[in-house]
Amino acid sequence: MNKLKPIWRALLLLLMGGFVGYALGVGLDALIGGTVDFVAPISGVFSLLGSATAFFFGLIGYRGITKGLVYQIIGTFVGAGFVTAIRAFMGLETFGSFFFTEPAWVFGGLVGTLSFLSGVGAFADWYKWAKGESTPEHHQDPEGFIKYFGVSLDHKIIGIQYTVTSLFLMGVGGTFAMIFRTELAASRLQFLTTTFKAFDQNGLQFYNTLMSLHGMVMIAGILLGVAGMINYLAPMLIGAKDMAFPRLNAFSFWIAVPGALLLLSALFLGGFDTGWTGYPPLSTRSPLGIQMFFLGVYMVGWSSILGGLNLIATVVRLRAKGMTPFRLPIFVWAAIATSIISLTATQLIGLSFQLVMFQRLFDMGFFDGTRGGNPVLYQHLFWFYSHPAVYVFVLPGLGIISELLPVFVRKPLYGYRWVAMSSLGIALIGFLVWAHHMFASGLNEYLRVPFMYSTLLVSIPTGVKFFSWVATLWKGKISTPTPMLFVLGGIIVFLIGGLTGPPSATVSTDLHLHDTYFIVGHFHGTIFGGYVFPFFAAIYFWFPKATGRRMSEKLGKLHFWIMTPSFLVMTFAMMRVGLLGMRRRIADYDAMLGFDLTHLITTIAGYLIFISVAIFLYNLFHSMNHGEKAEGNLWNSRSPEWLVPSPMPVHNYDQAIEVVGEPYDYGLAGSKYVDFTNNK
Amino acid sequence: MEHTDKKTAFNQGLIIFIFLAVLTALEFFIAIVMDAVVLLIFIALIKAGLVIYYYMHINRLNREDDGPEESYSFKTNTNRLGMWLFLLSDSFIFGGLMVARINLLGLTRPHLDQSLGLVVTAVLLISSFFMNRAETAMEHGDRKGFLVGTSLTLILGIVFLLGVVGIEWPQAIHEGITASSGAAGAIFFMMTGMHAFHVLTGVIFLVIILRNGARGLYNEEKHWAVEAATIYWHFIDVVWIFFYPALYLIGELL
Ligand code: HEM
Ligand SMILES: [Cu+2]
Repeated sequence: MNKLKPIWRALLLLLMGGFVGYALGVGLDALIGGTVDFVAPISGVFSLLGSATAFFFGLIGYRGITKGLVYQIIGTFVGAGFVTAIRAFMGLETFGSFFFTEPAWVFGGLVGTLSFLSGVGAFADWYKWAKGESTPEHHQDPEGFIKYFGVSLDHKIIGIQYTVTSLFLMGVGGTFAMIFRTELAASRLQFLTTTFKAFDQNGLQFYNTLMSLHGMVMIAGILLGVAGMINYLAPMLIGAKDMAFPRLNAFSFWIAVPGALLLLSALFLGGFDTGWTGYPPLSTRSPLGIQMFFLGVYMVGWSSILGGLNLIATVVRLRAKGMTPFRLPIFVWAAIATSIISLTATQLIGLSFQLVMFQRLFDMGFFDGTRGGNPVLYQHLFWFYSHPAVYVFVLPGLGIISELLPVFVRKPLYGYRWVAMSSLGIALIGFLVWAHHMFASGLNEYLRVPFMYSTLLVSIPTGVKFFSWVATLWKGKISTPTPMLFVLGGIIVFLIGGLTGPPSATVSTDLHLHDTYFIVGHFHGTIFGGYVFPFFAAIYFWFPKATGRRMSEKLGKLHFWIMTPSFLVMTFAMMRVGLLGMRRRIADYDAMLGFDLTHLITTIAGYLIFISVAIFLYNLFHSMNHGEKAEGNLWNSRSPEWLVPSPMPVHNYDQAIEVVGEPYDYGLAGSKYVDFTNNK
Repeated sequence: MEHTDKKTAFNQGLIIFIFLAVLTALEFFIAIVMDAVVLLIFIALIKAGLVIYYYMHINRLNREDDGPEESYSFKTNTNRLGMWLFLLSDSFIFGGLMVARINLLGLTRPHLDQSLGLVVTAVLLISSFFMNRAETAMEHGDRKGFLVGTSLTLILGIVFLLGVVGIEWPQAIHEGITASSGAAGAIFFMMTGMHAFHVLTGVIFLVIILRNGARGLYNEEKHWAVEAATIYWHFIDVVWIFFYPALYLIGELL
């Protein structure tokens, strides 16, 4: 076993962990089960946690994340056992069809999360501070790839941790989509039928669970990806050594890991059927899985909140000398706008989820109309975050577009100040538009028109960005290596997604479009254009900075040329069926509606996207060790991180940086952006 | 560092406390004699403003850095910004609860024990006064004053918790206002519960600074932990400044 390469050993252990977990579940069932059968849920959770633990044990041994996972398993059981004991003492039901009862699972999930954090070591320094001991400013990270699997305070390592976790989650969420997209390829139920059984759910329930989890797992993935880009890039771009609060930064990443696991465990605990929005009253009656969903998202939400806090403090406090507000890179402006949203609004999705959780746990009547509650209140709280959240997804990506475009056009960014302000404008107006998701909810009539106009207003700052991109491209010396391809693809796709916004925002048309596949097409367009394409661009662009090697251009172009046409076909096909009356979130449709073929095309396009991403992942992991060496200023960028060797030194810049000019004056003779000064 | 002398600083804290106490009493009587929502909101805003400015010293956010990036004072300024950003974020939870309260209850309120409400409010307010004294003492290197002030704050904080969770909750349940009785009960328990949770974390924070303060880990230059605990404690008070009228004073009895 020891002769194997760590990755193979890890994969082998992953399988064994899964089996052992499953057997444990079956054993427990035999021991306590009696009349209730809970093999599926308990074995599912055990296999998930067991295989994850075994995998990391094989990879790195008992340290870092492995230790965290072991603690999480123990913590979950201690927490759930504690509640179960209390219930037994009070004469309440102790075990249910999901093994533990719902309150026990929730408390167990909470204790498990905290245990994970203390196991992995995210609390270690704070605990010492509370005891009055002091800790070194920085800890020495271990050599080699192991450093990515434990608590590190280095923003670059944390950025990569975020990015890889994000890719993993998007892979999982994407796989879910492939499964239910296959079901949708033709009318009638194909394999997710009522006789189908998975984790105690029949085919239709399983469809709902996959569809709901797809949405939220992707969102969690996007939030982590955004945090990855911001963490890796922002301190480097502003010439700082690290983020303002490195320990908080590590904490923000690590709390997302147990959060993501909780979210995924919903699959095994009965699933849920509400979609990612979790509207009551349905969510107050969903299976237990919805609680795991709420709890998991809550943890990921804290990650986002604290990450936003850190970024704002970093930019306010740690900019290099001479980096005045209007010399900040556009990406940093976008990160600020994003962080303002995630710092504040995220609390409200947390609160709305918490209220439903409490309604389920303590029978509190917040959203129960028969007891003076109001389900529409949930929608207000939820969308007050979840609309601005879409800007959390896209603003950093749009920032990446503005950041990279001048590099590959060799021309200054057109209208720098306007672009910088447009991010803030979008974020701030974005706080005032949430009810456009509620036009069909029984919202007070008089609120519809103001929300329609405020929504249409967002198009203005968004238009500013497009104007700047087009004007920057105009008469430039355009070269198109892979990152630039993704930038251009992003612009086009985002345009299509964005243009479908106003019809959704206009009350008269939205009453027809609401809850149809048209909306699904709309937001896939905006999110791919505003996040996915730029995210890939950023990875292709900064990969050499992180590794000292570059990714294969050939595979990169293949990735792009498969993904872009497939995506366009997919999004248009979705809009078409939506306009023809296809409801979203349902497992089946009537063949008489006549769009079976369009659905089939959507599914095929979906597969192609999936394949292209697989090519990307292969390229990514292969190039880490085998890519062509690229240690210098590969793209001929003006940004300071490219003026030092790759991979980036541990504390970024050995010499202090001074900003002496404008960031995007590409092609202007004699212009200079940064200077390195020798005195530290 | 502030260069006001200790006595002036103590006196300022006392004067602000008197203002706050008078405004609270005013609130209570206004609510008894008339139905004046706007006036009550206005008074709450003034009270919050006084605490935020004079007790939480929001203007310290403007402090110039008097040292390089590695220095304690530079880091304290960064920490202070982080703390305020956290409170900004936190206040969205309480704001959301307020929105829920307004949405579900409108201009009505649950039937609660008025005298108990006033007593716990007073207890929290007095605790803020002692917290301010403790911090001021530490700023002037007076460790004994710090320890006495913090201990009193801690005790009052625990009294507040006992008052709300130990007396008010059972009483409400006894009156038939339970978590599951309806929107009013749900809102009452959620708002007081969320606030009590914050008081509890504040109490833990106070225990930490008390212990470390007693071991002499803080001095007049270096006491960021004390300042942070102080800001947090006053923030809890500010939240209650809004929650008290929202739960006890505004609207018709249900
Ligand atoms: C900036 C990029 C954008 C993103 C990431 C985005 C994302 C989304 C998402 C995820 C939804 C679906 C929410 C759900 O599950 O129900 C949605 C719906 C909607 N979007 Fe966008 N959107 C963007 C831009 C826009 C623009 C520019 C407008 C209008 C000018 C707009 C107007 C709407 C409206 C009105 C809905 C609600 C439609 C309905 O449910 O009936 N969006 N968007
Ligand atoms: Cu929206």
